[in-house]
Amino acid sequence: MIAGETAREPEAVDAAAGIDIKCVGLTKTFRDFWLRPRVRAVEGIDLEVRRGQIYGLLGPNGSGKSTTIKMILGLVTPTSGRIAVLGRRPRDVASKQRIGYLPEESYLYRFLSARETLDYYGRLFRLPSRVRRERIDRLLEMVGLDAVGHRPVGEFSKGMQRRVGLAQSLINDPQLLILDEPTSGMDPVGARQIKDVIADLGRRGKTVLLCTHQLSDVEDLCDRVAIMFGGRVRAEGTCDELLVQEDRTTIRSDTLPAEVVAEVRDLLARRGIGHIDVERPRRRLESLFLEIVERARAEGVQTSGAKAGGSVAEFLKGPEATDQAAVVGRDDTTRPASAPDSTSGGVDSNLIESLTRRQP
Amino acid sequence: MRNLRWLAAIVVADGLVIASLVALGRPVEATGLVGITAMVIGVLLGIAVIRWALGGATGVVGVARAVVEEAVRMRGTLVLVLLLVVAIPSLPLLLDHSERLAYRMQFLLTWSLGATGLILSLLTIILACSSIGGDIESGRIQMTLVKPIHRGEYLVGKWLGIILFNLLMVALAGIGTATFVRLLAATEATDARDRTAVDHQVLAARVAVEPTPGNPGEVEAAITEAIRRVEEDAPEAFAANPDAARRRIRHEYTWQWHTVTPDTTSIFVFSGLEAVRESVGKGGTVQLELKPRADNVDIDLADVRFAMWLNDRPWPMVGGDHQEQTLSTLAVHVLDLPADAIDDDGVLRVTIANRNLVPAGETHPTAITFSPGEGMRLLWRAGGFAGNFVRGLVVMWIKLTMVAAVAVAAGACLDIPLAILASLVVYATAVGSGFFRDALGLYNMVSSTIGGAIAERVGRTMIMLLEGRWYEAFRMLFGLVTDVALWLTPAFSDFDAVGRIASGMLIPGSDLVACLWRIGLAYPLIIGLIGWAVFERRDLIRSST
Ligand SMILES: Nc1ncnc2c1ncn2[C@@H]1O[C@H](COP(=O)(O)OP(=O)(O)O)[C@@H](O)[C@H]1O
Ligand SMILES: [Mg+2]
Repeated sequence: MIAGETAREPEAVDAAAGIDIKCVGLTKTFRDFWLRPRVRAVEGIDLEVRRGQIYGLLGPNGSGKSTTIKMILGLVTPTSGRIAVLGRRPRDVASKQRIGYLPEESYLYRFLSARETLDYYGRLFRLPSRVRRERIDRLLEMVGLDAVGHRPVGEFSKGMQRRVGLAQSLINDPQLLILDEPTSGMDPVGARQIKDVIADLGRRGKTVLLCTHQLSDVEDLCDRVAIMFGGRVRAEGTCDELLVQEDRTTIRSDTLPAEVVAEVRDLLARRGIGHIDVERPRRRLESLFLEIVERARAEGVQTSGAKAGGSVAEFLKGPEATDQAAVVGRDDTTRPASAPDSTSGGVDSNLIESLTRRQP
Repeated sequence: MRNLRWLAAIVVADGLVIASLVALGRPVEATGLVGITAMVIGVLLGIAVIRWALGGATGVVGVARAVVEEAVRMRGTLVLVLLLVVAIPSLPLLLDHSERLAYRMQFLLTWSLGATGLILSLLTIILACSSIGGDIESGRIQMTLVKPIHRGEYLVGKWLGIILFNLLMVALAGIGTATFVRLLAATEATDARDRTAVDHQVLAARVAVEPTPGNPGEVEAAITEAIRRVEEDAPEAFAANPDAARRRIRHEYTWQWHTVTPDTTSIFVFSGLEAVRESVGKGGTVQLELKPRADNVDIDLADVRFAMWLNDRPWPMVGGDHQEQTLSTLAVHVLDLPADAIDDDGVLRVTIANRNLVPAGETHPTAITFSPGEGMRLLWRAGGFAGNFVRGLVVMWIKLTMVAAVAVAAGACLDIPLAILASLVVYATAVGSGFFRDALGLYNMVSSTIGGAIAERVGRTMIMLLEGRWYEAFRMLFGLVTDVALWLTPAFSDFDAVGRIASGMLIPGSDLVACLWRIGLAYPLIIGLIGWAVFERRDLIRSST
């Protein structure tokens, strides 16, 4: 994981090549049928996501997260502002080869099976059939759908469709993964597992833009967070920067006998600290739920829905290993690599530069 | 697995029904059911073949494959596929067996191919518009267009999938129609003339020429003189629209020389027939198709009498006598003429002498008119039925590729209902454009060029608006819209494949090329580029998020 470590140190990487997503002054105003401006979904956002980061885009519903993501992906044209994705403009098809995207909802052909769905997207990436078949097997196993891969996805539950969505976003072994509320509609097991996958991918040096309104997702995973509200970024920084409460201290220990607690109270009182809460630490509901499901599975209880899913598919390699991946139609100069000089060839450094210059 | 069991059950049931129909002595119904079964199997096999042919791993091909899957899965299109699959084998059941066989075959060809064209056009429009619109409305397009595929490639993929599906359906419908026509041809004809008509007028690919006047110089001089006289005597007739006035005069005189007045003789010349004698062979025949009209309304349903000479030799001679022709009006008659009558210069002059008697209660005998365009044609066989039939199917498919391009472009720009509506309007204009041009042409086109028409109409609309003649101004503007729409939309009737096949007329190779160029390439390319330009600028998200 050395490459992964290096990639996660932005300073160690060339400034131009190390930025996977950069937005400057991004604004989107939706217009109605008569072209009258109606909704200001995004207002003057600046974002910078570096290679290897897991970047959280946090905000309540309707704060403009999805709109921002769709502009980054070239689905929506910004009203103003500029974007560079993997060193290229959002509508550039070449960079799409290295992007994986899970939309906020899973939009699938109802009549295609999970396997056919993944095959369809694999074709769009021009993956040869052997590679497609192999990856589909691995991914279905990874998201726990290998037993129901032949069933039409129209029959799937929302969470199962979500798993298909996640699988399709990984079929091209993307360098940049953009996930829009990946845990929505998922059971806690699935949510936990998706988080594990994201963390694992992060360790492998992938860049992840994670868009969510679930604080726990961000807390557990993200290196950096931008908190959006009303189309603007209200706060930005690392999790520690944002979450450390300067005015509170927590002390944890094994269970204390009553007399020891009294002694501590006395000590603190003598020091002038009056308000103290003493409580037994509670574990989180999530971990209890996980334990119950885990036990059921160990007892061999069957399910016709999604299974827990296996480990991360092994073709999802770190950036240095992807060089050997059998992918046709890919221009070698445009592929990701941990070494900055080999990357800069495919990156429109002028674009990055001009964006950087405009930043206040 | 479950699907297979269903399929097996259906096949067995189908076989039993067919067997019992045969046992009950209902061969036509049994054949129809066999036909339906065969076409269903054909659709399934064909889709498997398309799926295999689109096996490559590229964006365009991937999108195309998905459309073909959709075609047999969307309810709207599936219904149309089933309708086609049932309609073609069922048509023979509608035939009236008291009709002449040639007529029944023409009926079958016209309706079978006509229904195929209509159903597949509707299917194409619904499939294209709801496939693209559905992708956008459902959000699927967001998952497709973040993959390495251009928006233009996505549209081409949709178009490719649709035209391949159309190719399959046209081929199946063609095979079905040809089979049922052949089966029908093998049944008993009403009489020997009926059988000849079947062989020479339906199951053939004929070429037709129209006559020119025996005295072209005189006719032309008369027309010029008439135009000059009207210009002098009634200049106001020319003021508004000189082109239209000239066209009217020419039309009148053309009609005149196609008329043989009582007790006179007219000569109709067919030229350029050098190759015909060779192609028809020694002792072969050419067909003179006549649809005579009598100028007296009261005796429209009576017979006309005339005598004929071919290159000045009396014809037909029966036992040394020159036989007169007695033909009923308002019917089409086909006279088989010896190809040897054509002279070495490839000219056949048909002289016709009016021998009408004075009808009872009349004082004058009747004039005979062979109206321009349909009254008199010389035809000969230039090819077989099968080759021509295939050409007709190709023309039909080319038209469908245009409909597909229009519908894909509309689907790329508009949401589903509007896109379907817009495509239907263009389709209807293309189908009706020939008719509209004929019907409205003389009155609607105020100038012979589109530029002139636009300038003229805009100018006149201005004047009417200034004078406050609102209704007339509106009509003038409406005329402008129809003029432009008709000018913009290629007329399907310029390449009338169904009519030609049903009447045993050859579809010339030059027509095929022109059709491919105008309807298959130029127009779809322009429409497609417009659709693509709009699609590129569109925000591809659901209207309500
Ligand atoms: N297609 C659209 N037309 C009009 N308004 C839209 C459209 N899409 C999103 N919006 C509006 O933009 C705002 C931001 O939406 P979105 O980016 O989806 O929020 P989030 O993903 O943070 O929940 C919302 O107020 C929403 O109503
Ligand atoms: Mg959202």
